[in-house]
Amino acid sequence: MKEIDYIALYAESLKEDNGLFKQQKRLIESQFQGSSSLFRGMFSPNFKANARQYLRKVGLL
Amino acid sequence: MGKGYHLEGDTIIINRESTKLDLFVKDFLDVLKKYVDYLLVSGFVSISSGRTRGTEDVDILVPIMNKDVFEKLFEELQKSGFWCYQGDSVEEVYPYITEMSNIRFARVDEMFPNMEVIPITEKRKAKFFEFTHPQKMKVQEFEFKIPPLEFEILYKELVLGGQKDLADAKHLRTFFAEIIKKEKFKEYEPIIKSEL
Repeated sequence: MKEIDYIALYAESLKEDNGLFKQQKRLIESQFQGSSSLFRGMFSPNFKANARQYLRKVGLL
Repeated sequence: MGKGYHLEGDTIIINRESTKLDLFVKDFLDVLKKYVDYLLVSGFVSISSGRTRGTEDVDILVPIMNKDVFEKLFEELQKSGFWCYQGDSVEEVYPYITEMSNIRFARVDEMFPNMEVIPITEKRKAKFFEFTHPQKMKVQEFEFKIPPLEFEILYKELVLGGQKDLADAKHLRTFFAEIIKKEKFKEYEPIIKSEL
């Protein structure tokens, strides 16, 4: 089974069972937590200045 | 156990709890909507309707605005706890808007997620079309505007075409299969192809 087939299967299940949204919520909120800890650790205490330096380096600015 | 979504009139109601991502977008829109219209596009549309994947940015189309309007918007966003990647002053950031370049806002002391603001005019035909034909979607008390589902799916398949985009399109095609209208794909295809 290919990844795209799993996506279709999951979407079919989700259509009938909104309890599956709980897994998605956990993933989103765990990503928020992880990203926040990582970048605060990397850029504090001069968050904006350090963040912009990083963004220039990765080509986002 | 209940259905993943239902319709109330022409609004798609997603039957789930709010997430931190919804609250982030809602806080941003609460400010933005005072000054300018908008359309949420791309990843947020799929994620809102249950696609399980991470995201770093939320793409939002806004019509190009004059400097006075932008200044008020920019200042209120800053007062409301957002910072702009491109700069801290209107003088630094407004030129991006006039040059039709995207700008990004995140919450203070955070990098992600960010709102990627994409300026549009009537000249960007496909984007202007979706902007002027919004579909309403609602999660709990948060109502927002997205493109027509068929337009969003085709745009991902024909214009973006990356693995992530095709997976998002598959999710939308499957999840909303009962309300998607085949004739709309035919109507939207030439509009979308005009952007290629």
